[in-house]
Amino acid sequence: MWIILICFGILSFFSFYKAVKGPSVPDRLITINLIGSIVIMMLAILAVILKEDYLLDICIIYAMISFLAMVVLSKIYTGIYLSNKAKEQEKNEKEGKN
Amino acid sequence: MQEIIGTILMVIGLIFVTIAIFGVYRFKYVLNRMHAVAICDTLGMFFVLLGVMVCFGLSFASLKCGLILVFFWLAGPVSTHLIARLEVTTNEPMAKKLKGEDQI
Repeated sequence: MWIILICFGILSFFSFYKAVKGPSVPDRLITINLIGSIVIMMLAILAVILKEDYLLDICIIYAMISFLAMVVLSKIYTGIYLSNKAKEQEKNEKEGKN
Repeated sequence: MQEIIGTILMVIGLIFVTIAIFGVYRFKYVLNRMHAVAICDTLGMFFVLLGVMVCFGLSFASLKCGLILVFFWLAGPVSTHLIARLEVTTNEPMAKKLKGEDQI
């Protein structure tokens, strides 16, 4: 079972490389989501190896926090894009009047 | 016996996660990559947690595993949908094509 855990670690490193390299913001967000689900699986397997039940509680909390982070980050990036667009439009209208 | 069956199920989950990461490297566009990542969120998670449930046997811990699975299957599509909305909004040529109810 340790071998499965090591394989998951290597896969999470591959996905981390893609998250650093990824060309756009949504690209990075989906790879970070992937890292989150891999970490949840690793915690569940570790709970079996160490025979500790409380690691599964940590799994639940990790899943909730990763979901919340995805929601907040995507809302923030949409808001930044829309506000930049509105500012640009305002600028263009002012230049048109002058 | 329980541990052997659980390990086999975990290896099946590992194969699905490997396919998902291979897809992330292989596809060229964000919405295609999202399609590949969904394999890890649903099937990979399902098989790994099923293996953990088999290893723990019938106890309170396996109930917690089921709770994680239910929560992840409800929350994963929602977050993927939000990221897809972000991509459609910030991609100007695509945002212009959408009309009516699809417009954001």
